[in-house]
Amino acid sequence: MHKNTIHSLCLVFFLCLFAGIHSVHAQREKLVFSPHWLPQAQFAGFYVALDQGFYEEVGLDVELIHPSANISSINLLKEGKADVVSTFLMDAVKRRVNGLPLVSFAQLSQHSALMLVVKKSSGISSVADLNGKKLGIWSSGFDDIPFAFLHDQHIEMEIVRIHSSINLFLMEGIDAMTVMNYNEYNQIINSGINQEELVTFYLADYGYDIPEDGLYCLESTYASKKESLKKFAEATLKGWAYAGENKEYTLHLVVNEMEKAHLPNNKSHQRWMLDRMLELITPTNKNVSFGQLLPSDFLYALELVQRNANGGEKKLKMDAFFMK
Amino acid sequence: MRTNRLSFKIIIRILTFTILLGASIFSIYYYYSRTEIEKSARENAVFLAENTIKKIEEVIRPAEMIPNNLSWMLESGSIPKDSILPFLAKLVRNNPIIYASAIAFEPGVFDSDVDAYAPYAYRKGDGIETIDLWSPDYNYFIMDWYQIPAMLKTSYWSEPYYDEGGADALLSTYSMPFYVDKQGERVFGGIITIDISLEWLTEIVRSVRIFETGYAFLISRAGVYVTHPEVNLIKNHTIFTRADELNEPELRTIGRDMIRGEQALTSIDLEHLGYVWIYHTQLPSTRWSLGVVYPHKEMFAGLHKLTLTIILLTIFGLALLLFLTIRIINHQISPLAKFASSARSIASGDFKTELPHVGNSLEMQDLYNSFDYMKKELAQYIAHLQETTSAKEKIESELRIAKEIQMGMIPHIFPPFPDLPEIDLYATLLSAKEVGGDLYDFFLLDDSRICFAIGDVSGKGIPASLFMAVTRTLLRSTADKDKSTAEIVTSINKTLSLNNESNMFVTFFLGILDIQNGVLKYCNAGHNPPILIRNKTDVRFFNITKAIPVGLFEMYEYTEESILIDPTDQIFLYTDGLSEAEDVDHNLFGDEYLLEVIRQNASASPRSMIEAATKAVADHVKGHTQSDDLTMMSINYYGKRNL
Repeated sequence: MHKNTIHSLCLVFFLCLFAGIHSVHAQREKLVFSPHWLPQAQFAGFYVALDQGFYEEVGLDVELIHPSANISSINLLKEGKADVVSTFLMDAVKRRVNGLPLVSFAQLSQHSALMLVVKKSSGISSVADLNGKKLGIWSSGFDDIPFAFLHDQHIEMEIVRIHSSINLFLMEGIDAMTVMNYNEYNQIINSGINQEELVTFYLADYGYDIPEDGLYCLESTYASKKESLKKFAEATLKGWAYAGENKEYTLHLVVNEMEKAHLPNNKSHQRWMLDRMLELITPTNKNVSFGQLLPSDFLYALELVQRNANGGEKKLKMDAFFMK
Repeated sequence: MRTNRLSFKIIIRILTFTILLGASIFSIYYYYSRTEIEKSARENAVFLAENTIKKIEEVIRPAEMIPNNLSWMLESGSIPKDSILPFLAKLVRNNPIIYASAIAFEPGVFDSDVDAYAPYAYRKGDGIETIDLWSPDYNYFIMDWYQIPAMLKTSYWSEPYYDEGGADALLSTYSMPFYVDKQGERVFGGIITIDISLEWLTEIVRSVRIFETGYAFLISRAGVYVTHPEVNLIKNHTIFTRADELNEPELRTIGRDMIRGEQALTSIDLEHLGYVWIYHTQLPSTRWSLGVVYPHKEMFAGLHKLTLTIILLTIFGLALLLFLTIRIINHQISPLAKFASSARSIASGDFKTELPHVGNSLEMQDLYNSFDYMKKELAQYIAHLQETTSAKEKIESELRIAKEIQMGMIPHIFPPFPDLPEIDLYATLLSAKEVGGDLYDFFLLDDSRICFAIGDVSGKGIPASLFMAVTRTLLRSTADKDKSTAEIVTSINKTLSLNNESNMFVTFFLGILDIQNGVLKYCNAGHNPPILIRNKTDVRFFNITKAIPVGLFEMYEYTEESILIDPTDQIFLYTDGLSEAEDVDHNLFGDEYLLEVIRQNASASPRSMIEAATKAVADHVKGHTQSDDLTMMSINYYGKRNL
């Protein structure tokens, strides 16, 4: 009799608990997030935070969608298909200056992974040698820094817009190509060209160490969901920290995401990318804390954007752009 | 095992030789087989790869001809602008190999006011759909399939890609530039493409099977796996990411050679496959590279299996050989053991022992005959020996009696004259054979004179002993107190020389000592000179003339000599059995050594002196058989003592 009472109490307790969880679930804020490219280790922190339930823990119901090769994350944001997106700082500043009411609430990457790469066999060994050569740049934009670099170095290059592959470079249709250290550079290595057969120009080494990936939303969204976005940023950073400590698990998640999207995938390349991303999100020599944006970096990005901007928001302030 | 030693030795030798011979032959066989297999595997690898490439090219080449023809048609303007879409649709429908086809125009080429136009026909279900590829979201000018051939002005096979939602298959696009006439000038007009599914290609490459786990694979110009038995690798991995994941830097080197279009046969030790050969060569059309993987272990698996079989058969064969050899050898040599047993039986005197049955081998028959002959000869010999032995025993018995008689003739009671204190005399005769030819004798002629003699008959044995007996008898019968020593010897000589058909003779020394005054008269007939020991210190030979022995010349007249012996002087007489005693190396005892021995024992009594001389001889010959009679006599003269 006594036993039965305990059993009944336990049952009631668990039913209440379950009801509680259920009610929490029902109250969770829905957020749609889109990273700025197809699934890859560049976004490992988001996959980990989702898989580990870090978003759930802070009461968020996050849905992760990816942009397609032809539709950017910013477009998803504009169309209201995503509440939060990630993109490059330069891209975001440029869009903001050009009138899109974007605000940033977390800066993930603290460094630039952008570089120019040439084959040694092309005979180019210094910046000056680039003069008059063909440079492949993504058609999707993100060309302000390379252009600033060419301008500052007084280099004239024939610009060839390319979509996303390295094949034109491999087949020597272009002499040089802007690549990300964490991605295309390693793709070139993975296409059978050895490191020692390449000459690299890291733009960070030439003074353009401008941070890249950050989290963005529309001003209106920030106004209405400030707390949730803050939680989203925290959970994301937690995801990145976890990814750094559990690389094999993270790679497994990344490769699964890529597989789901029918993307070519292998751990070798994703491991390289994850390692580089973890380096990029570490502030190292910059006096900035994890997830924050250094004001000088913002100002430098703004300056570069404004070099080529026609009109737009001339006096963009840091606190109007980055929500600490 | 002792009894098996011969067979054991034969078997060991046969087995060793067989094993060495077999091992040599097998090593040569193995080496050549291996070389041949390697050679044929190389040839096979090349053949397989070339054959596969031929099969692929047989599909690709006609496919490539379609855009080629199309470009010619566009350049010649034989397709009306409004018929391009239906034409493409028909082209796709009529060519099952093609999944889709497009003609992408450069700005202003299709129509002067059209910046971009790319009619595209593709399969959808059982039908063909047509669309314009261009859209603000799809800028075909920067797509690889357009941009690369447009910039490089050459045809281009794209990297393989997975066509999601359309073909749902791995595709590759073949693009080739076409040209148009614009105001009399041939200008670049755009790109013609065909998309082909790579399923058939995968099938062709997959059909290459090499042994158990060998396979063929295809990689693109960027090293991406187009086909591979591990489906997961296709399009996901390049050979370089694979090399990185497997941590096999050598695979990366091979991959680099492959994408450079090199043709080579290399070997690599891969952790997951073991040691493999990779032959790679390029597909001329797509410039992709085909690799054929030959697992080294499996390449020789047949040989190793055969080797194992041969080794097992060899072991079995050797065991059989061993068994049969033991059987045969034991069978062949078993009569030897029986022969041995028979030989022992025969040796023990059983000449009726049956010899073993020996089979039909010539050698054994020979041995049997020899044994049989030996048995009969032995039986005969033993019978003869028994006769001889009984005869010999009889003779020996008679000789023993003769010896006893002979020894009985010579005095052997010492001291011989206990009543005569003036002298001490001792003598011994040791025969070389049962009966000897030496003699000695002594007797009193009267109260004061003692007659003594020593002689050595030529030859030995019975004749010598008979001659000795005669000589001694003659001495006793001839000697009397009135005769001189020379007369006695002359008389004996005469008697012995008469009718001496056997030409025997005797060396003879006869002396008569007057114990009253010490005068020694003597006659020497060819005998060794006695030794005179004066005053127990001075030792020397008698200085005498050596006359001829007795028994040779009937008419010979012997002469007498005389010497005065002082009291304490001693005489030592001997036969040549002493002075000519030989050791093993035929070294003589010798006169000098004799004198030395006597000198050392100069103060000894006659008996002690003779015993010392006997010992010295024994020491000298060291067990060498005594070849001659050994006779010694010594007389110590004390003179007339005041008793």
